[in-house]
Amino acid sequence: MLRRTLLTLALAGTLLAPLPAAADMAAEITEPVTITFYSYNLASAGLGKETTLGLVNDFMAENPLVTVEPVAAPSNEILSRVQADIVAGQQPDVAQLVFRDLIYAAHDLGAQPLEDLTGDELTRHSEGMVDNGLELGRVDGKTYGLAYTFSTPVLFINDDIFRAAGLDPKTPPKTWAEVKDAGRTIQEKTGKYGFFPGAFGPIDGTFVYQSLVMSNGGRVRQGNTLTFADGDAADAVAMLRDLRDSGAYADIDVASHMDTFAAGDLGMFLFTSAVASRFEKAAAGNFEMSVARMPSFGAKPTAPTNSGSALFILSRDPVKQRAAWELMKFLTSRHAYTEITSKIGYLPLRLDIVDDPAYLKPWVDAHPMILPNLEQLKNLTANVAFPGPNYRQVENMMKDAAAEAVLGSEDPYAVLKAAQERAQPLMPAAD
Amino acid sequence: MTHVLDAPVVLAPRRRLGLRLPIAPWLYLAPALAVIGVWIYWPLVEAFILSFYQWNMLPTSTPRPVGLANYENLLTLPEMRIAVRNTVLYIAGLLPLSVVLPLAVAIVTQDLAGPLRNLYRSLIFVPMIVAPIVAAVLWRWLLAERNGLVNQALAALGFSDVAFLRDPDVALWTLVWITGWKLIGFSTLLLSAANASISPAYVEAARMDGATRWQIVRDIRLPLLSPTILLLTMMTILFGAQWSFVYINALTGGGPLKSTTNVFYLMWEYGFQSLSAGWSATAGVLTFAAFGLIALVCLTLMKRMAVYDE
Repeated sequence: MLRRTLLTLALAGTLLAPLPAAADMAAEITEPVTITFYSYNLASAGLGKETTLGLVNDFMAENPLVTVEPVAAPSNEILSRVQADIVAGQQPDVAQLVFRDLIYAAHDLGAQPLEDLTGDELTRHSEGMVDNGLELGRVDGKTYGLAYTFSTPVLFINDDIFRAAGLDPKTPPKTWAEVKDAGRTIQEKTGKYGFFPGAFGPIDGTFVYQSLVMSNGGRVRQGNTLTFADGDAADAVAMLRDLRDSGAYADIDVASHMDTFAAGDLGMFLFTSAVASRFEKAAAGNFEMSVARMPSFGAKPTAPTNSGSALFILSRDPVKQRAAWELMKFLTSRHAYTEITSKIGYLPLRLDIVDDPAYLKPWVDAHPMILPNLEQLKNLTANVAFPGPNYRQVENMMKDAAAEAVLGSEDPYAVLKAAQERAQPLMPAAD
Repeated sequence: MTHVLDAPVVLAPRRRLGLRLPIAPWLYLAPALAVIGVWIYWPLVEAFILSFYQWNMLPTSTPRPVGLANYENLLTLPEMRIAVRNTVLYIAGLLPLSVVLPLAVAIVTQDLAGPLRNLYRSLIFVPMIVAPIVAAVLWRWLLAERNGLVNQALAALGFSDVAFLRDPDVALWTLVWITGWKLIGFSTLLLSAANASISPAYVEAARMDGATRWQIVRDIRLPLLSPTILLLTMMTILFGAQWSFVYINALTGGGPLKSTTNVFYLMWEYGFQSLSAGWSATAGVLTFAAFGLIALVCLTLMKRMAVYDE
């Protein structure tokens, strides 16, 4: 009886929830409409929030019939917030979600495929956008998320520490072997920390970890089969473990890696370029900082993946969908990317504005540190999201195993293998 | 004959009374029972049912029955084993801080003169009223490597840096200390109150018989304090690991290398980080069953061991 009641409740929930969109998006907005915009940039302090709010206000000034209600939640909580509001019957309209939730958003949250919704408007709007970037939001050939704010891992360098160790900051390490040498030299000659990758710990660094795996030719999964413990993927993790055993790897609290670099105690730090402006401020007057591309495994090309987010339309109402699409177009326009790149530090997904004096050129000239990041856009490789209802559990098991393989004392290959065997049954059946 | 005939006549009104009487108390109890039923027992039943399903809590997806798979999964997961071991360590580590130390403080401060006693006790009580998240941030600063006050003090004494929150061997005990530090005040308050209510006549009588201070503590105070001591012990065993949740969440996130996670944090992680309602419910049911048993054992022991002043 109880079981039946629960199922009835669940069924009632299913029926109460809006049905998948069948109606077409409205062609234009003729009456005032209000939409909600869930964004984690809004939950950050300072420039991230101000710039995003500024863009929303610019949009409302241009579209007087549309009111945008901003909803702020930190990036690690935004999905739970969206989900909770759906459960509570407050359907979110536009949401900025991270790429790990891509498949879940498309299959379970009811994000709308933009091709079906907007027709050729998407094609016209995406002219001039980086193809690799657009590819990131696709599931089964359809665009569910429109790439929005993101960046790639870059190597932040403390020039002062390099010079103190007798190294030349003008020729930063290009391969992992060179990172190991430089890291050990720094450790031995200066007593400061050598190298640290922001790949593990409470601040999400999965994109750094996946960049490393893919730069070595590995993949975390192939279809529904997990491969993060196989061959090249495991070798990449073992390389980090070797760095750690050699002393090149900084033994610091994983939760405070950014503080350690900002305090001038760390020689090399591989992390998202989105924190560049924060480091520039911290470094000013304290130490000289430079930025290099992420190191490679020997001659293999690097595969920097993105941290960051895409915009999703969750609305079921034709008029709100139109308003949501207009907002999404505005937030990914030349004007918006000029603001986002120059003020927050994310990459512009429209490279044509970089050389355009009307947009980003003056800023790029004044801030050459963005250049390694821009170059990496060319070989940007999609961060791999996991499918199925247990996707987060699987991802957590993989992350925990990678962290243990690097930071623990057991054989890294065995640790990864054991985790992969435990996680595989949680994946959808092999296809 | 008449006796037999009379009997039903006498019994009938009694039986009717027997039916009517119990309704009134139940009516009085009804609101309370309804509240307990709706907010405690119904969710418990639902959690139990949910533990046989796989569900991501979305109204658009239907819970999928998976039989005992959730239980099999959790019972074989190494992280569950680590979490259970850590839960035991948390409780064992908290007992000295929530019972032994406060007991000593309560007995020692009892002998202090008036204003000084109150000053000591309020100083000890202050951590209790600090918001847990504030306490967490405070300790993070105090325990920071290189620049933290604690490590600077250790350096001044000639010791090397301790990685309080980074070293897997130390992190759990750091969190035990922070949790316990918050509890000392509360326990001391309870024990002091119990200590103060011990009739001075016993102590006077013992003194006249020539008992030493230690003998008075051992043979009079400790036995008479035993109900409070046992209550605090039971509370620590049953809730100790839960009290550390805020600090795990704010300071370590269960790390480094799962060394500070416990079953309550794991439950939260399953439910709200990886959105696996089934796993979370299963962990909840297992914990409920285990702590239910422990509670029964504790209550039995308490009845046997406590000494009451009658």
